[in-house]
Amino acid sequence: MAGISSDVIRGYNDIMILYILKKEPSYGYEISKTIRQMTQDKYMIKETTLYSAFTRMEKNGYIESYVCEPDESGSGKKRTYYRITEYGRAYYEEKCEEWILTKEVVEHFIQKGEE
Amino acid sequence: MNTLKSYLESMFAKMPNTPEVRRAKDELWQMMEDKYNELLDEGKNENEAVGTVISEFGNLEELSKELGLEKEFSYQQESTKTEYADEPYFSTQETLSFEEAKQFVDAKIQHGFFVAIGVMFCIFSPIMPIISTSFHWPDAIGVTGMMLLICVAVFLFVYSGIMMGKWDYIKNASWMIDYNTAQVLEGEKSRFRSSYAIRQTIGIILCVLCWIPSMIIDESPLGNVAEIENIGAVLLFVFVGIGVMMIVHNNMIMGAYDDLLKLNDKKYVSGNYVKHQKNERYINDTVATIMEVYWPTVTCVYLIWSFLSVDWHITWIIWPVAAIINAVIKTNLTIKE
Repeated sequence: MAGISSDVIRGYNDIMILYILKKEPSYGYEISKTIRQMTQDKYMIKETTLYSAFTRMEKNGYIESYVCEPDESGSGKKRTYYRITEYGRAYYEEKCEEWILTKEVVEHFIQKGEE
Repeated sequence: MNTLKSYLESMFAKMPNTPEVRRAKDELWQMMEDKYNELLDEGKNENEAVGTVISEFGNLEELSKELGLEKEFSYQQESTKTEYADEPYFSTQETLSFEEAKQFVDAKIQHGFFVAIGVMFCIFSPIMPIISTSFHWPDAIGVTGMMLLICVAVFLFVYSGIMMGKWDYIKNASWMIDYNTAQVLEGEKSRFRSSYAIRQTIGIILCVLCWIPSMIIDESPLGNVAEIENIGAVLLFVFVGIGVMMIVHNNMIMGAYDDLLKLNDKKYVSGNYVKHQKNERYINDTVATIMEVYWPTVTCVYLIWSFLSVDWHITWIIWPVAAIINAVIKTNLTIKE
């Protein structure tokens, strides 16, 4: 199976991250792990790609970051968590619409094998 | 884990030391650490885990826009073509290899030893005339002995100076050390610290107590016998000589580590390897020039005054006074960066 071209998927990294953050705030590695599990190892987001998405979306106001100190039991370490904003939810809906349309358009031209 | 840390540090080493860059480095490190630990929990061995984390890391060019370094990245690509550039955004420092750093420290420590011994011989040199006087030998013997000691000292200074010369390139070009080297040097320096403190203390005590033997001899019934009276003066020089030798050697060793640890430029991320680094410099060039010749001048004044007046029992006062003046100048006329 051919791998996913990073150029194509780049525009949709935001959707994946926002989808995960819509459920609950999370941190870098957990998000990348969830993406990997949800796609059954078919897509693996690179650390730099993920961080680049975080900073870009934070700048645009779609997500917010906060630092979570280690809890008292001593488990866990100091981590930066991200949570989705109202603006981010609206952007997510918008991106979903865009993808449905994109998929519909491209689908017309997908043909497997000779007919 | 260390491999990962060095990998990340080397990726960031030449990046500008800005809050955005530092934050990116911290965040990426959090993710790498989490992933590494999880891979170990899954039963992978360390090498596999490191390999996986590095292969899935991505590249920093992707972050250029977010870090506000677009210009720098496009510049970096261009500058590899043009080779020379006026104002580099990225550090153009070259990295000193770990072996070179090790050799530099060894050479500097050896240099320090030679210089310290040379200084000791210089301080010992007046002993010769004293001995020859007390045994009523011809003056020429004492003076010759003194000159011989000074010659040996000069030889040591010149020889070790020339040997050290091959390391001048470190000062002339801009060099930096990588994360691993910095860690090792920091470790060695902090291990040396306790023996540094002991040697420094012994050295100072020897200098402070140098007059004790001559005082004891003066008070004793044998104080009037010329041969024995002079032993006190000889011991004074021996004490001071050994004391100063220990202090000089000690500080040269410390200086070897500091020289290397100071190489990293604070403007770049690599400057963060060296903690609590303070650059001290004099407020202006005049002061810097004066301080450059401060100790040689003090030495000259000491020797000239001593030889002209032959008041050796008074002239030593120059050293503590000079040390105090030095400390005052250092605290008042330097800027800490």
